[in-house]
Amino acid sequence: MKLFNLCKKKEIPGFHGGFNLLEAYPIRFCNVIEKISSDVAPKQFVFNAPQQKVEQVIVNLCPTEPWALPNWVTLAHDTSSFLDKVVALRARCFPAARVAIAISEKEGKHVTEAIKYAGNTDWMTAHPLNPKYPQNDPVVLSKVVLHAEVECGADTTTQGILILDAQTIAAAYESNVLGNKVNSRFVAVSGTGLKENEVIRVELGATIGKMLGGRFKANGTHRVFVNGPLCGREITDLSQEIDWSVNNIVVLEALNVKVMFPMIKQEEMSFTTNILGEVRQCVYCNFCDDTCPMDLEPALYYHSYTRGEGHKARSYNLGKCIECGLCSFICPSKLELLQTIKACKALD
Amino acid sequence: MKKIPQPIEHILDKTFDRMESFVHSHKKVNFLFGALFSAFDGLLRSSKDTAATQPFIRNNYDVKRFMGAVLVALVIGWVFPAVYFYGWQCVISKLMVSFIVGVFVVDVLWAIIAQEEHISEGGFVSCLLVPAILPPQAPLWLVGLGAALAIIFRNVLGGVGHNLVNPAIFSRLFLTICFPSFLVMGYQTPFTGMPDLHSLRYGLDAVTHATPLTLFKTNGEVASFFSLLLGTSGGSLGESCRILLILTGLWLIKIKVVNWRLPLSYLSSVFVFSLFFSLIVGKSVAPPIFQLMSGGLILGAFFMATDPITTVYNQKAKWIYGAGCGFVTVLIRDFTTLPEGVMYSILLMNLLAVPIQSLMVKIRYRA
Ligand code: SF4
Ligand code: SF4
Repeated sequence: MKLFNLCKKKEIPGFHGGFNLLEAYPIRFCNVIEKISSDVAPKQFVFNAPQQKVEQVIVNLCPTEPWALPNWVTLAHDTSSFLDKVVALRARCFPAARVAIAISEKEGKHVTEAIKYAGNTDWMTAHPLNPKYPQNDPVVLSKVVLHAEVECGADTTTQGILILDAQTIAAAYESNVLGNKVNSRFVAVSGTGLKENEVIRVELGATIGKMLGGRFKANGTHRVFVNGPLCGREITDLSQEIDWSVNNIVVLEALNVKVMFPMIKQEEMSFTTNILGEVRQCVYCNFCDDTCPMDLEPALYYHSYTRGEGHKARSYNLGKCIECGLCSFICPSKLELLQTIKACKALD
Repeated sequence: MKKIPQPIEHILDKTFDRMESFVHSHKKVNFLFGALFSAFDGLLRSSKDTAATQPFIRNNYDVKRFMGAVLVALVIGWVFPAVYFYGWQCVISKLMVSFIVGVFVVDVLWAIIAQEEHISEGGFVSCLLVPAILPPQAPLWLVGLGAALAIIFRNVLGGVGHNLVNPAIFSRLFLTICFPSFLVMGYQTPFTGMPDLHSLRYGLDAVTHATPLTLFKTNGEVASFFSLLLGTSGGSLGESCRILLILTGLWLIKIKVVNWRLPLSYLSSVFVFSLFFSLIVGKSVAPPIFQLMSGGLILGAFFMATDPITTVYNQKAKWIYGAGCGFVTVLIRDFTTLPEGVMYSILLMNLLAVPIQSLMVKIRYRA
């Protein structure tokens, strides 16, 4: 059966493994809230083209995390006028660069429009991609779109590759081409700890607490994550200011109570920080290497590390790991694989 | 079972909470029943732990569901057909003995002595396998002894996650050495036809009858494939109804509990090697299809060789592992006096798993 599937499903340009988070956690954003203002003078967004020569720009229109800012907020259902902005920005900031539009294949109308638009130029290409996580990670994106090898954690601009998301392009167009001031951005807020999933336009410099004010559900303990619960960071101090790097905020219930009959309550259980199981020994189930986008074997690192041979992990291609966190996410024994990987990487 | 009424759930939840605080507040009670309670609690309720480090959300799939799926598959794959073929008195009593001795006595005692936090559901799988690989007429004490041996053996080696070889197979090997007569003799012809009152007690007074593989060894008789597939040709309690075993095995593959590489490489290597040997040696070697469909091969390939802990981790090594199992099975069946070799081959490859694994890792990361 599996064999049959393998033959049938020819993967559209991409990688093995990965995980479709969009299907697992369907999050819908309905309303856009206009402008939450900052108490202090809002900061300005400035777009500086990198020092190095930009040979290749990748426009990342392929969000793979359901809690990330959706494309329609900036694209406003009009791909051509967005691509006009890309053209103008290219002419102004990096005239020699080739542009690759990486767009989720699920967005049918946008894909056809982008392909048509790109066909009229000889420096723009459109790449429909399978929106499974971590397709839009810089390393994976450069590999899939450009067949370029980028090291994990390295700055891609040193290799002449510049990766921009939709909102940065819109803002850079406003400030660098039109000369307007940009001091606010959209932030997607979602999660089980909030009353509603919303997109909020917020001035840079406003605190996270102010933005979330009054949006929490009344009961339960909440945990707040910046840029997603998968690879983002947890914050406890809500007085942090929002800057341009904040794409989304997720608030989850901690759910530190026991729940009756978890097997039949998958929907309500799944989007919490509960680990949904007990920590066990590794059972060699191969889930971790099946899902690893870089074709690594995370359990090997785990076993090396627990045996006190963490230095050995390096010889098993540890450097290729992009720290996407999928191995920890998927492990049925609930092992802290990502933490072990980071510990191994820190060993020398 | 989709919707459980809210009040019942609430009352159950409260009762569990009360029991939990009772068990934890009394030292002696906790010592004696803590393990049992937490196992039962763990079956019905989720755990409390939340993710402390990245990633902060985890997938809804844990080892418990893994084991649960295997249990369901085994019940459908062998318990149901066995009840039909050998009568419920024979099957259910063995299962009860196996479970009571294995899980509720030996495992709980062990948890108490070794002060483990919980007993593991892995024991259920082993205890469900033990009667399946014994002959239908094995006495109850033999089943109990087998279950006890399996669990003790697994725990001595460090519990689930550390057992080098499959505990059920190991205990069967032990029993074969100690009580060979029971394990060679106790086979019988299964019941066929419409079940009636008499058939419920069938297993108790049936006549013994050799397994298809033994028949082939002694007088070269090949059983019909149809009877092998449906399970009307006799054999160990759990190995006979191959069609159901194959179907449940495929289901396990579909939900990704079983890695498809292992059964595929095992079965195909049995086919290839038996074809090879029967072409070279001739009639004294059982024909390939007969080999595939007889003995414990299907049960072994889908449920025992794939036992996640005792196999190799590397995906390529899984092919070697499966092929090795097949090769040894064919060797034992065709060139020794033993009629059946599935258990021994899996046991041998279990032991070879660690070397194969480290070899494949060395090859892969040689650069
Ligand atoms: S964190 Fe590293 S090892 Fe784990 S799945 Fe991602 S790339 Fe693979
Ligand atoms: S997913 Fe977890 S249990 Fe499975 S092989 Fe990897 S580390 Fe082991």
